[in-house]
This record gives sequence, structure tokens and C-alpha cells, in this order.
Amino acid sequence: MGPVAVVGIDCRFPGAPDTAGFWEMLMRSGDGVGRVPPQRWAAADFHSADGAEGRTNTTEGGFIADPDVFDNEFFTVSPREAAAMDPQQRLLLHSAWRAVEDSGVAPHRLKGSGTGVFVGIMSNEWAQLHLTDYPRVTAQVGSGNGYCMTANRISYHLDLKGPSLAVDTACSSSLVATHLAVNALLAGECGQAIVGGVNLALTPALSIFYTQAGLSAPDGRCKPFSSQADGIGRGEGVGTVVLRRLEDALADGQRVYAVIRGTAVNQDGRSNGITAPNRWSQQEVVAAAYRRAGVEPSDVAFTEGHGTGTALGDMMEVKALGHHHAGRTGRPMALGSVKGNLGHTEGAAGVAGLIKVALALHHRTVPASRFAAKESAVLRLREQGLRLLKAPLRLPAGTTVAGLSSFGMGGTNAHAVLESAPPAASRAPAAAGKDTGGAGAGVFTLTAPTPEALRRNLRVQADAVTARRVPLGALCWTSNHVKQGHRHRFAVAACDTRELSGLLRSAADDEEVLKRHAGTAAGQRLAFLFTGQGSQYAGMTAGLYRDSPLYRRFLDEAEAALLPYTHTPVREAMFGTGEEIHRTEWTQPALFAAGYALGATLQALGARPELVLGHSVGEFAAACLSGALPLEGAARLVAARGRLMQRLPAGGGMLAVRASRESLEERVADEPWVSIAVVNGPEAVVLSGDVPALEQIEKELGAENVRTRRLTVSHAFHSPLMQPMVEEFAEVAREVGGAAPRVPFYSTVLGRRLRDGEALDAGYWTSHIAAPVAYADAAAALLADGPTHLVEAGPQPTLTSLARRLGPRAPESGGFPAVAAPVKGADSGGRELAAVLAALYKDGLEPDWDAVYEPGERHQQRLAPYEFSAEHRYWTAAPVRAPASGPGPDGEPGVAPGQAALPVPGTRAEESSAQGVLPPEQAPAADGGDPVAGAVLRAVGQVGGYPLAELGPHQLLYEDLGFDSVMVMELKHRIEEELTDGDELDMQELLPRLSSVGDLIGFLREHPATATATAAGTSTGPATGPGPGIEERTA
Amino acid sequence: MNGTHHGPADPGGRPDGSRQAYLASVGTALPGDPVDNATLAKTLGVNEEWIEHFIGTRTRHFARDLGTGEVRWSLADLCAQAAQRALSAPGCDPDDVEFVVLGTATPDTLMPATVNHVADQLGLDQVPTFQLQSGCAGAVQALSVARSMIASGEYRTGLVIGGDVCSKHLDLQRDLSGAAPGDLVNFVLFGDGAGAAVLTAEPAGQRVAVREVLNRFTGLGREPGQVIEWFGLADRHEDRQALTEDYKAIEESVPVMAVEILWELLGELDWQPEELDYLLPPQLSGRMTSLITERLDVPSATEISCVADTGNNGNALPFLQIERLLEGMTAGQRALAVAVESSKWIKAGFALEKI
Repeated sequence: MGPVAVVGIDCRFPGAPDTAGFWEMLMRSGDGVGRVPPQRWAAADFHSADGAEGRTNTTEGGFIADPDVFDNEFFTVSPREAAAMDPQQRLLLHSAWRAVEDSGVAPHRLKGSGTGVFVGIMSNEWAQLHLTDYPRVTAQVGSGNGYCMTANRISYHLDLKGPSLAVDTACSSSLVATHLAVNALLAGECGQAIVGGVNLALTPALSIFYTQAGLSAPDGRCKPFSSQADGIGRGEGVGTVVLRRLEDALADGQRVYAVIRGTAVNQDGRSNGITAPNRWSQQEVVAAAYRRAGVEPSDVAFTEGHGTGTALGDMMEVKALGHHHAGRTGRPMALGSVKGNLGHTEGAAGVAGLIKVALALHHRTVPASRFAAKESAVLRLREQGLRLLKAPLRLPAGTTVAGLSSFGMGGTNAHAVLESAPPAASRAPAAAGKDTGGAGAGVFTLTAPTPEALRRNLRVQADAVTARRVPLGALCWTSNHVKQGHRHRFAVAACDTRELSGLLRSAADDEEVLKRHAGTAAGQRLAFLFTGQGSQYAGMTAGLYRDSPLYRRFLDEAEAALLPYTHTPVREAMFGTGEEIHRTEWTQPALFAAGYALGATLQALGARPELVLGHSVGEFAAACLSGALPLEGAARLVAARGRLMQRLPAGGGMLAVRASRESLEERVADEPWVSIAVVNGPEAVVLSGDVPALEQIEKELGAENVRTRRLTVSHAFHSPLMQPMVEEFAEVAREVGGAAPRVPFYSTVLGRRLRDGEALDAGYWTSHIAAPVAYADAAAALLADGPTHLVEAGPQPTLTSLARRLGPRAPESGGFPAVAAPVKGADSGGRELAAVLAALYKDGLEPDWDAVYEPGERHQQRLAPYEFSAEHRYWTAAPVRAPASGPGPDGEPGVAPGQAALPVPGTRAEESSAQGVLPPEQAPAADGGDPVAGAVLRAVGQVGGYPLAELGPHQLLYEDLGFDSVMVMELKHRIEEELTDGDELDMQELLPRLSSVGDLIGFLREHPATATATAAGTSTGPATGPGPGIEERTA
Repeated sequence: MNGTHHGPADPGGRPDGSRQAYLASVGTALPGDPVDNATLAKTLGVNEEWIEHFIGTRTRHFARDLGTGEVRWSLADLCAQAAQRALSAPGCDPDDVEFVVLGTATPDTLMPATVNHVADQLGLDQVPTFQLQSGCAGAVQALSVARSMIASGEYRTGLVIGGDVCSKHLDLQRDLSGAAPGDLVNFVLFGDGAGAAVLTAEPAGQRVAVREVLNRFTGLGREPGQVIEWFGLADRHEDRQALTEDYKAIEESVPVMAVEILWELLGELDWQPEELDYLLPPQLSGRMTSLITERLDVPSATEISCVADTGNNGNALPFLQIERLLEGMTAGQRALAVAVESSKWIKAGFALEKI
């Protein structure tokens, strides 16, 4: 059969909160077994050392911590529904999400995919507790139970359309689920499969059963193949793996933990009693798996045994394996079982073994088997060609083959053959395609549904980045692809992991830092501003050229286009240390090259402008990037312009004046050799022309206390002194031509947006020379068209600060746009560019992430999975032993069955409201005294199980509060009871008004039935909105 | 360039039939920004021109912040950073690493050995680790151990690391304006850094065969040329100098030893000096290195040196040199490196050939 790759893993087992913790525990031969927590059942009540009837001989077992925690808000499940859900469903939801992330895929990306879900499960204790409490069986309790729902919940919440089913073959359930998933993948039934196993011990029933059947270890610990073995200890856990056909995983660049080569399932048939293990069938299932995998027994280096630690079970298993391995030459096959660490995790046992084997192959070390040091002599392991793993086994380099057994109590046996992942050399490079890329620094991104979730996950990522040194580029690239999809976005730029961990931690701990780097996705309209003369300096963009391959590529492109006209590479002037850069024959091509390369780099990174503006010579890069001029044409024009201007006689000057254009127009009217060259703002004007004339004006203005400043320029740009070069330039311009830009273009020649069909042609560029730079008008026009961000494409942020001085925009247009500058000054490099991208991402941009990284960095790096909120807990009352006489006369709950699902008092309101009854004293006056709003909020709270304080009019019933059709019907009934005196509301009218809580309130205020019923009450607030005092819930 | 005159691309093993080891990638780490002579002169109160002229080192990097004295990087940090860079090169995979060997003269602590902190930072577990206590020859010794381990056939991929944090002895409180030149040298010669290489049993990544490694103690009966003390609770108040050097002995012996190392390696491999494309001379200081290179007298080979830019950062040097070497090395080219540890006079060197 074809190979199937294990690409994602997540788990929780006793003593191990996650995959890393599980591995760590295995490697130190840790013990996850302890006392039965009081939350499960009153252990003493059911204990009897000699295993009396109805009792168990142990008070110990392998229990996971916090089985009651569920992040219902993350999955938009109402508290009431969450409280009714079997915690096994909740654990699987958390685990499946994390496993998909671990596979290098954002769970959102699987929406609508044909991904299959296969769950192995055998414990049904939640149902036993709840479905026998007949008066309390609600719609939620119904869908909250049942094996099928464990798988179907995952399919529902992740929106997966492939096969979705739960398997119960007792203790082999999750390996049988794996078998079914592998077959479905190989049959092409689905392209990806999530396989889960889960087991929670909520009642002592199985412990009593094991004791009564003589199978229960008094210390609650399985001691596989050990001379100390004395039976089974129960264990809990949840484990999920993501499987793909190996070729698909490799083609998509996913990391592979291990490869499943073959699986087989069979049955004991009519054996020596239905619960007795059958050596012959086990032998046969192992043989079948070897056959399907195409391996010889001698190829198998180690096997993760079922290993429950019962005398008969261990003996049968060893004999079955011995049949295949007794004849081995060389070293015996290594054998162990994870049950020594966890106990028997029953429905999750198969997946626990699968994860252990996959991790062992991944880490090239097989953990020791706990209790192996005292090997059982009776088993004669060596004669069977087996050896117990008394110490961790380091696997040699190259391919290792491993086996995995799981046997069900009713006789359904499963075996799987795995092997190590193919070597890195044969893995296909991820994200092949574009070869150039690289902003020069990484952008780490994280998203979460709420700011609190963002903080929580920032902390987790900070810890992970601190703990282990990994390549920054791959880490960031993976975060971009995996941690996407939630509303609150976070992004930072970093040059190394130390810097990154510091940033993550300070964002998690400091509200101000978080605010700077986080935002909620919104529509985005980028404006690119291309900087003109005056902004140049020696070494401009040298840091970015050094750091960013992408910028390097585009600057080289511009340089090559300029070279036929400049003859010397423009970079020599840009990155030199001398004064060359300030000679206008170099300044102009240099600014063009930098502007073009910056704009092109940003576009390649996915930031595309919807509005462009160039200040004077900056218009050439703007025209080029908006499609009005080809690169070669723009290069030729700008080089000619600089060269011709340089040739003009010296003697021209420029004078910046703090005065209005109007006041200066009058003053220069009589000066033939002085003109207004630039209008940067209402009080920021530059005069240009003949130096003696300028000196005269300067003196006059000085006398009037008007502030002036002489600019260090070689020539009087945008003045009549330019006239001698105009004709020669016009000739070049005519040859180059020019088209209308494809992006709204705010002309500093015209001081307005170009109209449709207005071309940036020879006439435009010729008039550009002497015409004043109408920046203030052009920028005002641009701002009026509502850009969300101004991005400055130039060697320093000049235009953005000028724009800011144009004054704040009217509030209705959204205030002043955000400002970003990829180059801030001489020290700027890749980090600054990446920071611009980070800022744009947090504000809603979808960058082309591959372009941010060099090809060698575009590969998956394992990231810490999503950390769910532990704030909400849902549990039930622990079973206690009934008095000998049975249930008490006062109706005290007795022993299961028939145990009431009582909510346990907790710290938060919804814990005690699990049954939907909110104590009246907890209801704050959130309705502002409005009877309609109050009634609606109460009804929503009761149906969903939300405390009133958490409800607000802007919440969406379906999306935010997790309402479904069943809950809507119930809501309707409650509203009718409370508000309309029982008059039935029309469903057709009601349904369209059920988007938000506020909508519903509005609808009911207008409704005649409500009006009648509440006529006695006081109506406050406008009819369409929520009443005053209703707090909007800001998540 | 002489890309073809060396016979078959790769014999797949050494003439004696034992297995070959290959260098697949190199990574280096230098802490912070380079510190130039002007800055150093200002900080220490010494003469900038003197550094330029007598030491010939232009810049170096320090793990300790010159302004505040704060330690920003440990040796483990630098070594792990260099190793991670080597491991993220094409053709390398951290999961393949089967052993780690670190050479250093300046471990972060005597226990645990720094190599284990490096492994921890890299997420390596269940692998043999070694730390060799040595000065300038430590990196070559580490290479020698790694090569032997791979030649044994038991291991296929290993990580070789060298690094030093000399700024531990950079006492910023001291006023050096009146210090003797012999004492001053200690302050201006050294720098911090680390380097690492991935060694493999099969050609991978850079595909550079490690043809020969020399590591030999030759100091019987000779006074040490360099001593670095360490202090414990009992002797920490003793007035001993932490770092002493016999510059006269070093200037006299190192060039002689270097020439012998060159010829011994050439002789072992039966290579002619004109067949060498690159020479990696000992990196004592900018000035000493050019003197020694002159003495080695292999004009046909391109010199690969770094000390003038990196400072003498001990066991990081060979990796910094190899990193520069690999930028230009093409298939069929040969390189030979010479290193001398003047503490107790250890001869070291290695020969590389890209296949």
C-alpha cells in the first residue's frame, strides 16, 4: 500500500499537557498516574482493597488535568451548549485545531475541504450520567452526547466535508480509526484526515469492572511485560494526528514526523471467551500489516506493544510477536508500551501509541518502557526474539521500521507498521516558484479572536522562541501561513530570534506595545508618495540594498535601465560618501532609482497602491509604477532631465518662505527671473530663480519678520532659469512618449488628480520642468479621496510629514491616514521595510508572504500551537456512593446511573448557570430600564447560558453567541412568554431580524404584540437602537 | 584556478580505504556591531594609531557591551547561533545531527560544559557531546575528533563548533593610559565569536572533503607561550594576572611552526604547493598574520584571512575563514589551513578539497 505521512500531532495525557510535554515525560520515564481527583468520583466511596462487589481495588489512575476547560467562545459555542457537551467532544475540538496548526496549515484554510475525521472512542460516561436524567434531557444534552458527535463536531466547527465518523472497537478504537483514515486516504476518498482518540473516566464503572474481572492493578498502573505486572490501570487522554498521502505532504512542503507504511485490522472470532485475547488472531493481524507494508519481520527495529500488563494479555501478545521474530538473527526486536507511563487510555490507547512511535521515529530515539527494568521472566522474551526497552534506544541514521499494536477487548485487533520520514534531501522544496524574495528581515504574525487571546498566545510564542533556537525566516514564514485567519492581527518585524522573543513578550505584557503592533482587519487604501529633490543623501537606501534581496533586484533593474544614459552605475553616487549625490545629474536618477525600487519592492510584497503622488522628480517613479511610463523610458527621461539641468549655468537658487502662495505671487509678479517653484503647504512656499533677485526678496521679507531659508541647490529648479534646457528635453520626451496611468495619479504639476485619459506624455513632462510643484493641492486632493495609509517611497519620510501639516482631515473621512516609511534614514535597512509590511498587515493587508523571504527560508518550522482560554470550565457533579438503602428520601442524587448533571459551583457566572438558570441577583441593569431590551437580554442569556454582563446589542446571535436553529426556537418561546403575553411571533418576520441582539430588540420594540404587552412599562430610548446603558461588549 | 588537475572528483574514501568526512555547511556568529579602533581606543584610553600599526586589526566584536559592561551574549548563545545557521543551510537537517564537538578556551562555566547548553538551545537530545578545552587549536581538534567519529562508520552527521568569548577579560574599569604595550596587547588583540560546521559521511551541501587534519602536541619541556588562569573561591583574591602571553616566544616560534605544519600536511597528502588554490594562515592579529603568510610563501594560493575584521576570537577563526573560503571555492579546488596554539605549542591544520 502507499505511504501515508503523519504531518501534525497534538495530545494531552496524564502528566503531559501537550506534545512536547508528552515526549519529555516519555524520555524521563515519567509517571502520569495518581489519585483519583475528587472532581471525577469519590475514590474512597468505591474502594475496597480486596475488590468487594461493586467496588474497585484501586484509588489511582492516569487522569488528565483540567478536563473541564473549554474555550467555547473560540468555537462560538454558547455556555449552555458547552455545559451539555461531553467533555470528550470539547477536548477533541481543542486538540484537532492544534494538530492542524502543527501540520503547517491554518485551520481556516481547511474550510469546505474534503478533510475526513476519524475518531476512536469507547468511553460514554457523560451520556450515562446525563441521558438517564430524563427531566433534564434538553436539545443541547442530545447533541452533546453520542460517539458520532465527537467526530461530527470537528467536521462542523472546522467546516470539513469529508467522511466523519466515530469508531468503537473498545481499546483498539483509535488505531482502527487510523486504519480507516489511511484506507480512505489511499482510496482517494479524502486528501487529508484528522484522526483522534479520546478517553475520559467520569465514573468508577470501568474500574469496578476491571476489578471484578480480576484485571485491575491495585496501584492503578499498567506494568507492561514486567515481573511486577498485576493488571490494568485506567488512563485518560486525547490525541489527534493529521494524516496525508506522503507524496501530497512532500509536495506541499509539510514536515513529516513519520510514515505509516501499512495497517491491518482483524477479529478473534469465536475465541476462548469474548473478552479473552487470541494469540492466533494477533499473530495474523501483525502478519497482515507486515504484508501490506511490504516489510520482513527482521526489518522491524521496535514495536510499541499493546502491553496492558495483565498476565494473560502480555503472554498472548509476546507469543504472537514471537511467532514472527523468534527466528531473527542479530539483536532481538525492541519492545515497550506507553501504558506504563499513562495507564490504559482505552479509546485513546491506539493514538497514544501512534504518537509515541511517530515521535520516536522523529526524534530517532525510542523512550524506555516504564517498569521494564524488572522484566517478566515468564514471558521468555529473548526466546521470542524480543527485548524490553529498559533504556532509551537511539535509532541509527537512515530508515527505521517500527510496529504498533492495539487490541480491543471484544476481539478487534489492529496493527500498524511505520517508518521514519524520508531524509531532508529528498523532500521537495516548499513554495517553489518565485526565486527572488526577501524583505531583509522577518515578519512574525499572530492572529486571535480577542485581544486577550492574542496576549495569551503571544506569551506562548515568546516562551517557545526563547526556549529553542530556530531559523528566524522559516519561523516567521510559518507564522504567516499557520497563525492567520482571526480578527485581531499582530505583526512585528525582527532580525533575529532574540529580538523577536523580546518583542513578543513586551507586546504580551505591555498594552501600549500591543496597541502599536496589533489591529483589526479593515479595508485598506494605500497611497504611495514618491519623494523628490532635497531628500537625497550619501548612502541613501544602502542598508536596505545590503539586507533585502528584493530591493537589490529592483534597484539593480533601475540601475541597468539608467546605465545607457548615466554611463556610471547610479549606485556609485547613491552609496558613495562624497557630494556626487547632490549634483542634480545624479540626484534625479538616484531618487528615481530609489523610488522605483522601493515602490516595486512594496508591490512585490503585496502592498499595491490605489493612489499615487510624486513630488516633482518623484513623479517619474510614480508614473513608471502606475504604468504611464515603461522603466526604460522613465530612466531615459529622468537621466536626460538631470543631465540637461546640470549643464545649465550655476547662479540659480531657491528660497523657502513661511508665507502663503497668494502673498508671494504679488511679490514676484514683477521679477522676471524669480517664480514660485513649490507650494508644499498653506504657509510653505519655495521661490526659485536668479540669486541676486532672491537675496533682495529675502531681505525684504526679513524686514517684515517673515521666516525664510536658503536651500542648498545647484540650480533654480522650477524657475524661468530652466528655460534653456526645455527644448532639448522636449525632444527626448517626444521620443519617449507616455500613457495615462492605471492608478489614480495626483499630479503636482496640475495640483489635482489626473482626469480619465489625461496622459503623462511629452507635453506633461516638458511643462513639469518650469511649472511650480503644487504639492499642497495635489496632496489635499489625494487626502480627500480617503487613503487609509500614506507610504513614502523615498530615502526619508519628507512628503508624509508635509502632508501631516496640511491639517487634519474631516472626521467623517476617517481622520488622518496612517503613515509608513520603509526608509527612515541612513541607518534604515531590512527591519524598517519589514516593519512597514507588519504595520500594513495588522491593518488588513494580505501580503505575498513568499516574497518576504528568500527561497531557502520558505519552509515549515514547527510552531507552538494555539493556546486556548482556560477561563471557562464546564463539568458535572462527581458520582458519590449512595447510602446502602439507595437514594435518600429527599431526592438526593444517588449513584450512577441516574446521576444528575449538576453544575458545579465555580468562580464564574456561567459555571453555575450551566442549566440556563441565571440567579436574579447576578443580572445587572444592562437593559437601562427598557423592558423590551431587558427581556430580550434575559432570554438570550437563558437560552445561551450567558451571564447578562457579557451580553450586548452588537453581538451577533449566530456568529458571536453560537445560536443554532434549536436555540432560536427556544428563544422565540421565551420571548413570547415574557414579552408578548404568549402571542406567537411570526417566524417569517422574526428570522430576518435575528442578526444581532440589537436588531432583535429593535424588531420587538416595533412589534404590536410587544407594545400591547409592555404598555404599562416605560419605553425609553430610540426605537431602532439599544437603550442607553446597554454596554457594547468590546472583545 | 586549477579545477581539473586533481584527478577523479572523489575517490569515495581515503587511499588507505577508510571513510571520508565531508563539510556540508558552515555558519558563524559575531556578537553585535563591529567595534573599530577609534571606539576601542576611546573606551580603553589607548592610542588608536598604535593599534593600527602594531596589531593591524581594524575591527572586532564583543559579547559584552562596551558602554555598560553588560554581557549580551554567552558563549553558548553565540555557538548555538552559529550552529543553527550551519544547520539551516541547504542539504542540512538538525534532525540528522548525531554528535556535537565544541572547542573553546573560554567556556561559560566549568560545569555544565557549554556544549550541552548549545545542544539544549538547538533542541538536540540523546547525542554524544564533547568539549575540548583548547585555544586556537580547539576548532581543529574538534574537527579531528568529528572526522574520526565519522570515519569510524558509527556516525554519519556531526556538528563541529568553535567559539570564544575573550571579552570576559576586557576589564573596562581599568585605566590603560599608562599600561605597558605587552599588557595592552591583551586588550586590543581579541574579540568574540563562534563558528560551526556540519560534517557528513556523504558529500552534501557544500561538498567539501576534509582530506587531512593535523593535531599534535609539541610542547614537551617548553614554557607556555600563553596562560589563561581561572579562579575559584579559594584563590580568587590572589594577585595573579588572568591572562599572560610571552610575545617574544610567540613571534619567534609561531612562524616556524606554521611553515612546518604546511609542509607536513602537503607531504601527507602528496600535494605540491602550487596545487593549493587557497591558504588559510594562522590568525593571530592583522600584522602577525601577514608576516606569517609571507613566511609560508605559497604565492599561487589565495590567502583567506579574517582576523583584521573579526579580531582574534580564538576557536571561531577557522570557521570564519572557511566561511570566506566557501564563497569562492569551486569543484576541484584545494585549500590548506594552518593554526598554532602557542599556550603549550600545539600544531594544527587541515586540508580541504571541494568535489
